[in-house]
Amino acid sequence: MRVAVIGMSHHTAPVEVRERIAFGPAEAAIALTELRNEAGVEEAVLLSTCNRTEVYLFPAAGSPPIEAVGRLLGRKAERTGDSIRPFLFEYRGEAAVRHLFEVASGLDSMVTGEAEIQGQVREAYERSAAVALEPPMTGPVLNRLFQMALAVGGQVRAETAIGEGRASVASAAVELARKIFGQLKGKRVLVLGAGATGELMVEALQREGVEGIIVANRTFERATELATRLRGHAVNFDRLPDVLASADIVLASTAAPHHVLRHETFREAFPDGARRPLLIIDIAIPRDVDPALGDEPEVFLYNVDDLRRIVDDTVRVRKEAVPMARGLIDAHTRDFRAWYASVEVAPVIRTMRERAEHYRRSELNRLYRGLDHLNENDRARVEEFSRRLLNKVLHDPTVQLRRGLGGNEGEGLINAVRFLYGVGEGDAPSPPPASDAPPCRTERIQNGEESE
Amino acid sequence: MIHHLALGIYLIAFALWVGVLLRGSRGRAVFFASATGAVAVGVHAAALLGFHREYGELPLVGPGAALSSLAFVGGLALLVTLPLREAARVAIVLLPFIIVLMGVALGVGIEPSPLILEFRGTGFVLHVAFAFLGYQGFTLAAAAGLLYLVQHHEIKSKRLGRFFHYIPPLATLDKLGRVGGLVGFASLSLALGFGAAWVLQHPGVIALTDPKVVWAIGSWMVFLLSLAARVGRDGSGYRGAAATLVGFLLVVVGYVVLRLTSGATDGLFL
Repeated sequence: MRVAVIGMSHHTAPVEVRERIAFGPAEAAIALTELRNEAGVEEAVLLSTCNRTEVYLFPAAGSPPIEAVGRLLGRKAERTGDSIRPFLFEYRGEAAVRHLFEVASGLDSMVTGEAEIQGQVREAYERSAAVALEPPMTGPVLNRLFQMALAVGGQVRAETAIGEGRASVASAAVELARKIFGQLKGKRVLVLGAGATGELMVEALQREGVEGIIVANRTFERATELATRLRGHAVNFDRLPDVLASADIVLASTAAPHHVLRHETFREAFPDGARRPLLIIDIAIPRDVDPALGDEPEVFLYNVDDLRRIVDDTVRVRKEAVPMARGLIDAHTRDFRAWYASVEVAPVIRTMRERAEHYRRSELNRLYRGLDHLNENDRARVEEFSRRLLNKVLHDPTVQLRRGLGGNEGEGLINAVRFLYGVGEGDAPSPPPASDAPPCRTERIQNGEESE
Repeated sequence: MIHHLALGIYLIAFALWVGVLLRGSRGRAVFFASATGAVAVGVHAAALLGFHREYGELPLVGPGAALSSLAFVGGLALLVTLPLREAARVAIVLLPFIIVLMGVALGVGIEPSPLILEFRGTGFVLHVAFAFLGYQGFTLAAAAGLLYLVQHHEIKSKRLGRFFHYIPPLATLDKLGRVGGLVGFASLSLALGFGAAWVLQHPGVIALTDPKVVWAIGSWMVFLLSLAARVGRDGSGYRGAAATLVGFLLVVVGYVVLRLTSGATDGLFL
C-alpha cells in the first residue's frame, strides 16, 4: 500500500520544536503546492495542530517521497536554525492508515479521547482538497482514507467511552452539574468572588444554558464589572442568604483568608435544610466554603482537589476504553486494506486479461493462415472455442485473486500477478473515479475545551 | 417453553446492559441492549398469551403464572423507558427484578389453577388492566429510585466511576420516579375501585378479609405514603427515591411470600 505519513507529534517532539513547524491554513496550501511541484506527489493532506504536524501522502508510484517531505518540514523549522529530522516519525502502508484512524479517534492525542482533533482532521482534509491545483491534492485514495477516518472517529466516540467525561477542571464542573440537574438551561448560578477562574467556569456553564448569574463580592464595583460581562447582576455580600436560597449552583473563588460561605449562612438561607440539590464548587485556596456544608443531604460540595481527581478518573476511564477503540480501528483498517487492494487489482486483472486476449488473437490469426478452407461457420466455432478456453483458464485465478484480497496476503498476491505478467505499478491506471467523492462539509466542532 | 425463551432473552439483554456499564459503551451497544430487552418483553407477552389460549384462563391464578405476570409488569416498565434515551438505562435494575421473578415462576411451574373462577365482566378487565399499569408505574419509580440513590451516593462520595457515567442525571431519575409514582398510584387507585365494584357485582367471589384484598389495600397505602414522601412539603428527590424503593420492596416481598405460602388454592391474586 503506497499510503504513507511523515511528521512529528507530542510523542516525538517537545513543544519548542513542534511550534516551529506549525502551518497556518495559507502556509499549508503553499507547502502542498511545493510538494506537488518538487516531488510530483499525487495526493497529500497536511494536518497541523498544536500537538502535531503530519503529511499524509499517496505518491503516484514507487516509494513515498519521504525525503521531499523532510526537506519541506526542515525548511520551515530552519527559519529558526534547528534541524527537525531527529523528531520526525514515518509510517507506511497499513501502519499509516491505522495511525490516521487513531489520530481522528483521539487515541493519539495528548489528552486521550479529546474531541477537537476530529474537527481538525476534517479541516485539514478539506483545506488540502481545496488547494488550487489540478488535479486536486486529494484524489480517490486520500478522499476515501480521510472520509473513513472521520467516520471511524465518530464511531469510536459513539460506541466507546473514549470521549467519556470531561478532562479539564472547568469541564469537570460542567459534567458534574449535568449529572445532577440534567439540562442546565434555566439553572441559576451564584458566583462568590470576581476572579478570572470563576469567570471561566461560569462561561463554561453558560455555554450549557445556565441563566440568572448573580455575582457577590466584597467590593461591589468589581462584582458589578463581572456581572456586566456575564450578563448577570451584582449583589452585596450581606444579601448572601437571600440569593443562596434561590441558587442551583454556587461557584466560590474569592481570595478571602477565611470561609465566606459558613454553615450559619446556609441555615439562614435554608432553615429546614435544602430540599433540592445544590451544587457548590469551591475553587478558592484557602477554601471559601465551610466543609461541614458537604454533610447536608442535598448539598454536593466539591473543591479544586475533588475536581482534579475527577479529571484523573476521566482520563483513566478513557484509557480503559482504548482496547475496544483499537478493535474498531483494526476492523476499519482491514476494510480500507480490502478496498485499496480491490482498487489496485482491477487494472492488474484488466491487463492480465488484455494480454491473454492479445495472445489468443495472434494465435488464431496464425492458425487461420494454414486453414483457408474453413468457412465462416467453422471460424466462428473456433473463435468460440478459444474464447471459452481462455475464460476457463483465467476464471479460477481471477476469482482466487479477488478472494485473497481481504486477507493479509492481498498485496502480495497483486505483486505476484504483476510479476508473473510483467505488469509494473506505473502501468496500472488510476483507481476508479466512482470513489472520488467531494470533501465533507465542515461541521461545528463540539467540546472545544480539550484542544489539540 | 416460550417462557424459558423469554427468560433467556432477558438474561442476554441484562448481560448486554452490564456490558454497556462496564465498557462505558454507547451508540450501537445501547441500541442492541434496548432492542434485546424489547424482544424479550415481546416473547414474554407471547408466552402469557399462549398460556391464556392453552388453558383458557388469565395467567393470574397459579403462583407460577402470577409471578410471570408480575415479571411482565416489569417488562412493561422496561418498554416504557426505551424511547426515553438516558432513562432507558434503568433496564439494569428492572432486568434483574424480572429475571428473578421469572426464575421463581419457572421453578414453581407455570401451571393453570385447579379452581374454576368467574373472571369476566368489564369491571374485572379494567381492574386487571389498571392494576398492571399501577404496578408498572411503581416498578419504574422504584427502579429510578434505586439508581437515584446510587448516583446520589456516587456524587456525594465523589467517586465518579462507571456508575456515575452510566446512570442518568439525578433530575432525570427524580422526574421518572415522580411520573411513575403518580401514574402508578392513580392507576392502582382506579384498579382498586374497579375491583371493589366487580366484587359488589359478584357477591361471595372474594371476601374483604381475604389476605389478597388486605395485601392490595396495604400496597395502595404503602404507595400513598411513598408518594407523599416525594411530593410533600418536605419532599426531596433523595427522600422520595428512598421511600419509593422501600415501599416497593415491602409490597413485592409481601406479594411473593403470600403467593408462595398461600399456594394455588387461594385463587385470584392480582
